[in-house]
Amino acid sequence: MFEPIFEFLFKYRPLVFEQGDFAIRAPWTIALGAAAVAAALTLRTYAQVRGNSQPLDRGVLAAIRLGAIAVVAFCLLQPVVVLSSVVPQQNFLGVLVDDSRSMQIADRDETERLRFVEDRLRAGGDLRTALEERFALRFFGFSTETDRLGDVDELTYRGTRTHLGQALERAHEELTGVPLSGLVVVTDGADNADGGLGESLLPIQAAGIPVFTVGLGRETFDRDIQLSRVETPRRVLRGAALVVDAVVTHRGYRGETVTVQVEDEGRIVGSEEVELGRDGEPRTVRLRFTAAEEGPRLFTFRVSPRPGEMVTQNNVRDALMLVENHSEKVLYFEGEPRFEVKFLRRAVADDENLHVSILQRTAENKFMRLDVEDADDLVGGFPTTRADLYRYSGLVLGSIEANYFTPDQLRMIADFVNNRGGGLLMLGSQRSFSEGGYAGTPVADVLPVVLGEAEGEEDFFVEVAVEPTRAGATHAATQIAETEELSVDRWNELPPITIVNPITEVKPGATTLLTSASDDLVVLAFQRYGAGKSLAFPVQDSWMWQMHADIAVEDMTHETFWRRMLRWLVDGVPDQITAELPADRVEPGQAVTILATVGDANFEEINNSAVIASVTHPDGDFTDRRMEWTAEADGEYRATFIPPTEGFYEVRIEALSGDELIGEDVTWLQVAPSDAEYYDSTMRTALLDRVAEETGGRRYTPDTVASLPDDVQFVGGGVTVVEERDLWDMPVLLLLLGTLVLGEWGYRRFRGLA
Amino acid sequence: MRPLRGGPIAVLVALSMAMLAVPASRPGGRAAAPEASAGSRLPSLHAAGAQREAFDPRALLDRRRGTMRRPAGPHEFYFTRAIYSSGWGWNRWAIDYPKSDRQFMTIVNRLISIDASEYENAIRLDDPDLRKYPFLYALEVGDIALGPAEIEGLRNYLLAGGFLVIDDFWGSWQWATFEQQIRRVFPEHPIVDIPLDHPIFNAVYRIDEILQVPAIGNFWGGRTWEQDGYKAHARGIFDEHGRLMVVINWNTDLGDAWEWAERPEYPLKFSTFAVEMGINFIVYAMSH
Repeated sequence: MFEPIFEFLFKYRPLVFEQGDFAIRAPWTIALGAAAVAAALTLRTYAQVRGNSQPLDRGVLAAIRLGAIAVVAFCLLQPVVVLSSVVPQQNFLGVLVDDSRSMQIADRDETERLRFVEDRLRAGGDLRTALEERFALRFFGFSTETDRLGDVDELTYRGTRTHLGQALERAHEELTGVPLSGLVVVTDGADNADGGLGESLLPIQAAGIPVFTVGLGRETFDRDIQLSRVETPRRVLRGAALVVDAVVTHRGYRGETVTVQVEDEGRIVGSEEVELGRDGEPRTVRLRFTAAEEGPRLFTFRVSPRPGEMVTQNNVRDALMLVENHSEKVLYFEGEPRFEVKFLRRAVADDENLHVSILQRTAENKFMRLDVEDADDLVGGFPTTRADLYRYSGLVLGSIEANYFTPDQLRMIADFVNNRGGGLLMLGSQRSFSEGGYAGTPVADVLPVVLGEAEGEEDFFVEVAVEPTRAGATHAATQIAETEELSVDRWNELPPITIVNPITEVKPGATTLLTSASDDLVVLAFQRYGAGKSLAFPVQDSWMWQMHADIAVEDMTHETFWRRMLRWLVDGVPDQITAELPADRVEPGQAVTILATVGDANFEEINNSAVIASVTHPDGDFTDRRMEWTAEADGEYRATFIPPTEGFYEVRIEALSGDELIGEDVTWLQVAPSDAEYYDSTMRTALLDRVAEETGGRRYTPDTVASLPDDVQFVGGGVTVVEERDLWDMPVLLLLLGTLVLGEWGYRRFRGLA
Repeated sequence: MRPLRGGPIAVLVALSMAMLAVPASRPGGRAAAPEASAGSRLPSLHAAGAQREAFDPRALLDRRRGTMRRPAGPHEFYFTRAIYSSGWGWNRWAIDYPKSDRQFMTIVNRLISIDASEYENAIRLDDPDLRKYPFLYALEVGDIALGPAEIEGLRNYLLAGGFLVIDDFWGSWQWATFEQQIRRVFPEHPIVDIPLDHPIFNAVYRIDEILQVPAIGNFWGGRTWEQDGYKAHARGIFDEHGRLMVVINWNTDLGDAWEWAERPEYPLKFSTFAVEMGINFIVYAMSH
């Protein structure tokens, strides 16, 4: 609205004044001299004439007359704006057109974004014609890659990603050496490249090439629901009960309730309803489901499309998880016969993915071994070397006093968490926590709770009802029923248990999941510590949740609790060899970086290992890559490969020391076209503005793009000529002059002077 | 790791008995008052201990509704005796009570690292609190006559994870009575012999042979058997997962061996065996 008015008044668009320099063509001394004489005469005349006028009247009239003289004098000076204009047909203009799938979105009057290109940039289109009159056009189509086009007819709009920076670089390089007036980018502004755009703009800025952006699509959708984010673990144990957060955003569906479903390769395994809030407000949905089938599993999270949605493809997200079916080893060291042993064993007995070996002291220096792997396992008691202890992923300390351990064993337990990345769980008893003399030991540093002095608290004993904290109500480990609400209810129903360790304080950074209902006692807390995590469960008789008369015989709460606790304890505990892919989904032809960390039996990093990555393609072919130490971090190795086709790729890492196999690990990669184009697919004006401003160009919409040819002509580089444009005939001057004359007449009439 | 064998055990048992201050008592007789310090970690136990000074299980049973349990407290283990209904109208559950229980617990506390109450703890089978004590001992079950509530209570107790040790009943006639009653609890689970290579016979001490432990009176009479129970058996009932729920010591009397272990005339061989078996039962019940 502003520009047409400006152009009407000042003859030219603002850009002309921005780009040009002001000058006068006439000899300014003559013009100013004439104006000075006229002004002097005017002043003299008004000073001498009295009549019935007052001094104020004469002053006003003189000022008006002087203004009119000034306008005329300005015209006599023959003012011009001097600007540089590209020479028609001697310069090139790069036209980059978005070739991605998001161009198919019909978000403006049910018209697809690509229609702009079809209508106005094809041969015969008004914009195309206007540009061709001035420039030699060079077309590029860009999405994942950037290709030179003969014409825009070659666009397919099937690109799965948009790499805007790469496209600008490519066009700039291609047009280097020719007189280039600028680059025109026709896009919706989606840039989902991994690299930064700023680096791509630097050479263009340095070359002084303006980039003109034409934004297609709407800045906001009227009605759309989007599954914005889903966070899942990369690998889980088979049978793991997962709690996954999914974030739903929307526009236009406030107050409506939608269902988020999760499917395990087509089979619905979980769902949760969520009421949508204000437009744009993200709502987090907590989905509970079980990873029941082993192997690489593609879990699909979906919100059913609602009537009137502009984009339905963004209602779905996939997550590849490797469901592992091996047995994680846990060592439970108990210092005395306790019923916790019996009921914990029973609770996890049917869990094929947990192997709990028990070492139980029955008398002084006398131990009972249960569920050990072989006859020699733990035969010497609690491990005395790191290699022996680090074979386990989890360690549970029951009623065993700190004095039982040697100082090195206490240090070793701390290192088990800190360095090896294992999970440590300490149970309540008269021989654990402060009561067991752990205060001041390395183990106390690892624990998530603050250990006070045990002196004077020998007789502490309290029966408590347990309730989950806010964090505990939603944490996966403390979900003992199908839904969050049922789980909280179930916790509140459970019979009381007893505590002899008065722990009321957790360390900074630790999280309390369970607490006593009436006291401030910590019942379950955890923290990350180094590479691992530690848990404190100062309860001495959780078996009451199995044996209490209020618990039905067939009730599985106790079993569920302990399975989840121990699975959580060992969740994410690394092996000696770990394979990692920075992205679990790439597109065909996209380079993949494979990372591996290699450690010895003590989990000390090894930098001279022979590490091989064997990639099994979907068709059964193999690709072997020797991984090289990165030299950036101890024990870290890297290799890359390029998957040629879609499908699932198995990446197996083997590490050798000499001829001896240290270990191996497997991970999976999904290769498929990206659907990133459909997420946040509104036009991103901020990005387009940034590109234009940083390069000296401008941003347009389909409604304002008609001025693009003119703008490029004055802003662009290449072969240019200096051009002067007259300003004396600007309509605003005539209007001003007329206003002054009429003003003088009106004033006289008003004051009765004429 | 090697279990203590009979010799050291015999010495320990003998030493323990010599140090015991528990006076001998006749079956059904009064027990000595426990020392107050024994229950000092839980205030309610003081009161319970004081009451026990005048405790008479028969008198309590006469009131019919009473239970002689002690509240679950800070001890990890309570040697819990089942109060059951008897067909003969005589409270046979209280045989050897409480001396046998106390004496056995004294030995247990000295031999293994367990936080066990030194005192007796009896509870009815239909008491809801039964399940707070996952180890249960019952003897003289030759005339057991369970009521419906007792059957339900015992069944739920065992299915939930409780462990029952049966002792001191003899001969085919008493077996038949017991078997008929336990069938009412577990009609679906058979009674089978527990093989000697079962872990329960190696939990702490290695048991190579099931000895017939005589009641002290029979031993004085020159025999180890009673009625037609000439051979001791250790039988069991397993749940559907193969877990041992009930150990049945038939034609043997471990309880008498615990009760009379301090008597020089009672053979140490039997006391030692009974203690080894009892400790194995306890440790096994607390870990399997």
